[in-house]
Amino acid sequence: MKKFSLKLRLMIFFILIAAATWGVAAVVSLQECREEIDEFFDSYQLMLGRQLASADWSKTTAQTQKKTDNLIDEVEESDADDDAIAFAVFHKNGQMIFNDNEEGKNFSSPSFDKIGRFSKEKIDDEEWRVLWLSSIDKNYVIAVGQELDYRYDVALETVETLLFPWFCGLIILLIATIIMVAKEFRPLKKISSDLQNRNSDDLSPLDYSTAPAEVRPLLEALNRLLEKVAAMLQKERSFISDSAHELRSPLTALKIQLEVLRLSQEDPKAQDAAISKLEQGVERSIRLIEQLLALSKTEQTSAMSEDYLGNIDWKNILSTLKEEYLDKLSNKNLVVESEITGSPIQNGNPVLAAMMLRNLFDNAIKYSPQDSKIKVQIDDKKLEVINSQTEVEEKTLQRLGERFFRPAGQKETGSGLGLAIVKKIAELHHCQLVLKNTEDGFSVQIIKQD
Amino acid sequence: MRILLVEDDSLIGDGLKIGLEKLGFSVDWFDNGLDGKEALYQAPYAAVVLDLGLPGEDGLEILSHWRQDSRKEPVLILTARGDVDQRIIGLNTGADDYLAKPFALKEVQARLNALIRRSSGSGTPQIVYKNITFNPQTRSVMQNGENVVLSPKEIALLELLLLNKNKVLSKETIENKIYSWSEEVQSNAVEVHIHHLRKKLGKDIVKTINKIGYILGEE
Repeated sequence: MKKFSLKLRLMIFFILIAAATWGVAAVVSLQECREEIDEFFDSYQLMLGRQLASADWSKTTAQTQKKTDNLIDEVEESDADDDAIAFAVFHKNGQMIFNDNEEGKNFSSPSFDKIGRFSKEKIDDEEWRVLWLSSIDKNYVIAVGQELDYRYDVALETVETLLFPWFCGLIILLIATIIMVAKEFRPLKKISSDLQNRNSDDLSPLDYSTAPAEVRPLLEALNRLLEKVAAMLQKERSFISDSAHELRSPLTALKIQLEVLRLSQEDPKAQDAAISKLEQGVERSIRLIEQLLALSKTEQTSAMSEDYLGNIDWKNILSTLKEEYLDKLSNKNLVVESEITGSPIQNGNPVLAAMMLRNLFDNAIKYSPQDSKIKVQIDDKKLEVINSQTEVEEKTLQRLGERFFRPAGQKETGSGLGLAIVKKIAELHHCQLVLKNTEDGFSVQIIKQD
Repeated sequence: MRILLVEDDSLIGDGLKIGLEKLGFSVDWFDNGLDGKEALYQAPYAAVVLDLGLPGEDGLEILSHWRQDSRKEPVLILTARGDVDQRIIGLNTGADDYLAKPFALKEVQARLNALIRRSSGSGTPQIVYKNITFNPQTRSVMQNGENVVLSPKEIALLELLLLNKNKVLSKETIENKIYSWSEEVQSNAVEVHIHHLRKKLGKDIVKTINKIGYILGEE
């Protein structure tokens, strides 16, 4: 039933209910009608029986039968309703002395125990209801009978006559309902065909002004979903186009350095320089793509699903990072001080958390001057990375964390994505990214939010 | 020809400087807007290659500053974004041509040659003087249909003379126009180049105007 349309289901339901109601009404009416008709015919039989019983049958001869038959034959329409009532008169010795010249002829001789009441008789293979009466002089027995089928037919006819207009009404009601339901469903049908014919990039809201009130909440919800999808799509698109733009610069560098390499065929020194620049360009492209991938990973909704969550071992993450950046740390003669007493993130994604600290650490190393100090402090409220002897302009501070933003006069190569990634991961873990200049230096903080 | 290059991306800037120098230009490269803007006032540049996304000062601001100051040097802008709006704004601000990243070095060379040719009032890509034909793109010199081998600086000097047919160029002007800041210039470098040109292309190629300078033509 569920696979049919609501319209069809409504229709079938209505037809079934109507038919059942109509059927019950018909059965009940028929029953009532039969009782009434039984009563009516019984009293008719009684009346006829009374008249026949009060008659004097002693002078009745074979002639009497013939003469009355002829009288009846002369009556116009005498054959109408010839099944209605039949009767016969018997002498108490069992001989039939008179009848109605119809079914009465087939009445069998009376059994005296039935006298004074109705009985059911089988005559000509049909069920009959017969009233047995003794005549006043007790010499004769009167039988007035009626075929039961006849009574049933009358009842049926009566009910049919009564129910016909009702049936017609039912049909009209049904047609009217079908038309109304179809009309009510038309706006829905229009909306669904509109949706079907839509271009995949058309995410404009649906016009549901003509839709019935019942489905409006659904359409409103659908519109809200469309809005969300449109916003997400817009974000995706701008991300892709931003990424493509960002890739232009390293690609241009690669292209030009390749041409320089080709032009330097007779100059080994210039060739070596171009090759090393090419390597730098490739490294830069790889780093940019890695960062883009990392950022897109943080955008995935599954990033924070239960399966990936767990405790975060900051000490382990930091020691791995220190090992990895050993060369860079010693090149710049940087000292890393760490103090880990807790974690602002209780149940988080360890991979993302490591990515976050890695970006902060990488930035700290890149932008720290020679012979300075990097301080990493992690407690239950916040994670903080401080570059000593570093200060960031107020104007720049506000824009750090935007995708692809790189401060002016930047000597270090970078994708401009590191802090955007950090910010996104912090938000996923209900933390806030705060950047400020402190007495100790430039401080990046990931603060737990209540 | 001396070119001013203002580009903040170290790999692109380095590639353009070295590449364009290999192609016969003298290039002064600045990686920030402030220095780049000032540089135009310090030397005679044949053309400018200007990146729009610059730290310090935005490329468009620099360009509009130059144009308001009536600087007429042809400017080729480099845009990171392929979007049309930025190119239109660039051209309307006073740029003469644009290139969208990623571009090829050869294309930069071709556009610079076209810009220099047009700013010197010449229409044809090849410069013909008497029996000498010079092709700026291939940097080749033909005399009577035969190739003449010249050093890059000799070619630069010849190009300069060809583009300034009726002007007398002082020794200092020539130095400034064919050498960049990063090149060391011998005190007699220009005389040496003139000497070589006369030797390779004939005595009549350059006329010396006493105590003033040099001009293309018979002595």
